[in-house]
Amino acid sequence: MRAKNNYLAATFITPTMLVLAVLAFVPTIYAINISLQDRELSGSDANYVGLSNFIQLFSDRRFLNAAFVSLKWELVTVSATMIIAVLLAIMMFEALSPRLRNALSLVFLMPVLLPRVSAAYVWKFAFHPLFGLATYPYKALTGQPLDLLSNPNTALATVALVDAWQWALFFAVIIVKLLETLPPQPFEAAKLDHARTWEIYAYVAIPMLKAPLISLTFVKMIESLRAFDLIYVMTRGGPGITTETLDMYAFSQGFIESGKISYASSMAVLMMIVTTVAFTILWKRVRT
Amino acid sequence: MNRVRPAIWIARVILGLAAAMAIVPVLWTFLNAFKNRVDIVTPAPVFIFTPTLDNFIYVLGRESVLQGLINSVIVSGASVLIGALFGLPTAYAVARHPSRLTGEIQFFVLSLRFLPPVAVAIPLMVIWLDAGLYDTQLSLITTYSLLTISTTVWLGIPAFQRVPKEVEEAATVDGYGPYAVFFKVALPIASRSLIGALAFSFVLVWNEFLIALMLTTSDAKTLPIVASELTQLGRDVPWGILNASVILLSLPPLLFIGVLSGFLNSIVKKTNG
Amino acid sequence: MGKLSMLSAKFAGALLLSTILAGAASAEGCSGTIKVLSQPRDGLTLLEKSKDEFTKLSGGATFEIDNLNENDRRAKSKADASTIGKYNVYYVDEANVALFSAAKWIVPLLDYYPKEYDYADFDPGRQKVATVNGTVWFAPLTGGGDMMVYRKDLLEKAGVQPPKTLDEFIAAVKKLHDPDHGVYGVALRGQRGSGANVWRWMPYFRGFGGKWFDGDTPAFDSDAFVKATQTYLDLFQYSPPGTKTGSWDESTGAFLAGQVAILIESTPLTGEALDPKVSKVIGKIGFLPPPSPLTGGGYGHGLAIAAKANKTDAEKKCAGLFIAWATSKENEMRRLADGEFSELNRTSVLTSPEFAKQFGADLGQALADTAKVTAVNFWQDPRWPDLGDHWGISLEELITGTRTDIKGAADELNGFAKTLVAKKQ
Repeated sequence: MRAKNNYLAATFITPTMLVLAVLAFVPTIYAINISLQDRELSGSDANYVGLSNFIQLFSDRRFLNAAFVSLKWELVTVSATMIIAVLLAIMMFEALSPRLRNALSLVFLMPVLLPRVSAAYVWKFAFHPLFGLATYPYKALTGQPLDLLSNPNTALATVALVDAWQWALFFAVIIVKLLETLPPQPFEAAKLDHARTWEIYAYVAIPMLKAPLISLTFVKMIESLRAFDLIYVMTRGGPGITTETLDMYAFSQGFIESGKISYASSMAVLMMIVTTVAFTILWKRVRT
Repeated sequence: MNRVRPAIWIARVILGLAAAMAIVPVLWTFLNAFKNRVDIVTPAPVFIFTPTLDNFIYVLGRESVLQGLINSVIVSGASVLIGALFGLPTAYAVARHPSRLTGEIQFFVLSLRFLPPVAVAIPLMVIWLDAGLYDTQLSLITTYSLLTISTTVWLGIPAFQRVPKEVEEAATVDGYGPYAVFFKVALPIASRSLIGALAFSFVLVWNEFLIALMLTTSDAKTLPIVASELTQLGRDVPWGILNASVILLSLPPLLFIGVLSGFLNSIVKKTNG
Repeated sequence: MGKLSMLSAKFAGALLLSTILAGAASAEGCSGTIKVLSQPRDGLTLLEKSKDEFTKLSGGATFEIDNLNENDRRAKSKADASTIGKYNVYYVDEANVALFSAAKWIVPLLDYYPKEYDYADFDPGRQKVATVNGTVWFAPLTGGGDMMVYRKDLLEKAGVQPPKTLDEFIAAVKKLHDPDHGVYGVALRGQRGSGANVWRWMPYFRGFGGKWFDGDTPAFDSDAFVKATQTYLDLFQYSPPGTKTGSWDESTGAFLAGQVAILIESTPLTGEALDPKVSKVIGKIGFLPPPSPLTGGGYGHGLAIAAKANKTDAEKKCAGLFIAWATSKENEMRRLADGEFSELNRTSVLTSPEFAKQFGADLGQALADTAKVTAVNFWQDPRWPDLGDHWGISLEELITGTRTDIKGAADELNGFAKTLVAKKQ
């Protein structure tokens, strides 16, 4: 019986792991291989050039800028998403009946389901300086058009807002459902002690949800790595290079501008190493 | 309770605004999809207009859109199927037979999500080019299988964990073999959550953009790529057409909203409650 | 001489008709779909209405046009041609025809272009742009130089004479700039790209005596470079919002909507300004050649036969037939009837009575005048798009104010150009 079960586990797990390993490791090894060459899209001949692509990266102004933009993006979108999500969830939990809460949950789920290309377009159009719905009030009041996406000071924040729009509303739904699962006794005890509402959440509810909230933050950090679709549709990395993240820059180097796939690949490999190491450490920390 | 009344009203107003934020831009796009250009390119938003179906007729009449739709359906469908085929048994085995390796397997599956899509797409492009499979549905399906299998495993494990052990034991007593237990007992019982997991991986693949952008040029282009090409046209921007194509692209994932909401409920309730 | 060419054009027209009748026989073997990677052109959209005609002519083939905006079309066609080559026909332009022909991504057009379609009928200027190293690579769809287009009504009201020199131009822009009443002095292109912001900036650079290369040595890091950039940036203060990250669409769009007093843009603008479908300034505009010392940016776009997707000679012939048909006199006359001024390229069409009737003598004169100052502003080399795009990004940064050191940007571009030249084996 036991042997049979182990046999089942082996037949159920082994092929899948093999397939995943092939699908994941072959491209990874290939990426490292390409990054050590000087391959370009237009030429078929390529030579090994050692680490020179990587060395070149560190004197590349646009690469350094992109690394900084990516870091900013990660910080802004993760913190904005978590803060907005927690606040909305608490408000939903406090101010709405369970039925209204469920209805609102459905509404809040919609943005995250939209393809990012659609979300990006919907908001790009809403932010259109002349015909946009979101910029209309400003235009009506001041008579001046508002062009947030081509202003270097606001472009990144505007794109980040769209990201938060998709994720914060989604996370709010999850968090409110988590709040619903909490036992009521600690809340009642705190109320008897005349704790203020915000104190109940800050000292009772949130600490009780610490583990799932950390997991959510972790998930958002991973998902924030996927900024490309929004930026590609909304700004293409512009104005100038103020919204050029690493994936956007790697894509431009590999495709739009020069077809330098080896150079782009060296960037991708670097990203891969940094994210894998950082997230592995984070994950192990979170788990223990 | 009484003394926080005003605060509650403020919260309700904020929530109402958030709901409006969630819906209005999409609704506006939806409305614009039925407008003629003159009703869109206006100094002030227009709410009353004569609707037209021209935009949808144009979009659906483009061969590229139709081709993109077919590609998206085939690629998403096939890769979700492959994800289910490989992912569900693994999720079941991991859920039912925890061992030393279980944690490692879960982490490995999750860590695949750490890979930046560019890092996967660039080498894959070279691989598919060398193999002569670049810009084919097959290469996209294979590439997406990594995504669907790992997602299915990851979300399938908790779903199987919630199947009561007693039921399976009773089935074994009734003479079911381990495979029969999986197919005839565990799968049907967990099916509601599993459908949620599969819907989730479908949405992921349907919405995927960067990899499809890099791995296709014409024959295998998926709908997001076609839609983004339409939205970037520039010259005399055909706004109505753009809005129509965005709506068309967004409809399939939105159909799953109910399924996903139920899935969230079951996941959150059972793991914490 | 003129009469002779008119005669030969007429003869070609007659011949064309007869070949269409005989087409099924002469081009049999064409089947399947000819895939075209293009950018939006009214003329090509018009073409889609006559798909059946082409099917009959080719003996069973049809065609499908994928459109991308100009920058994306350049990037995508390069990516497609250098990898798998799925498109049978590429839309190429003056900036990348050198690259495409040097890389052998396209084949010599005339080897597969049916004689009866009379390539020699195309405007000599456009033919020149389509020819690299003595070989013809594409059949023109559009082309021309620059034109200064201004609002007669606004200039009159402000008592400003149409500027003849750059100094007068700048003074006029400043005087006419009145954003509180919805009028901007000028409209420029800010969006990155060798064919976008760099394209509009080049007339200043070349007009001030700048030069890209001296043999193989970069020579652009000069006073002319800095002065041109400074002038361009100064003018941007008077350009409407949205143009800082916009290109042709945004700046001509603003002009056609009546928000701009005066601008220098590519010649198709004149046609659009006269088109009631898109223009709100009909009857209010005048045109002149660009003020001196600015040079007009000569350009030409057209269709070329892809090398990879058309493996056999028969396939190349089919693609050639499609291009010939798409740019034929008959189709140009259809465009003329549809009012598509900017997509007419054949001498026989431009000198036809129908043309004079539709667009008037003024425009003809202005076109002839501007042709005199039209020049090749860019570096004619396969590596031009690389260099131009690189500069385009820095220029966009300067325009949007995220960097301010013009000289530093020029030095950086100089370094880039040196590595670019060094790569050439």
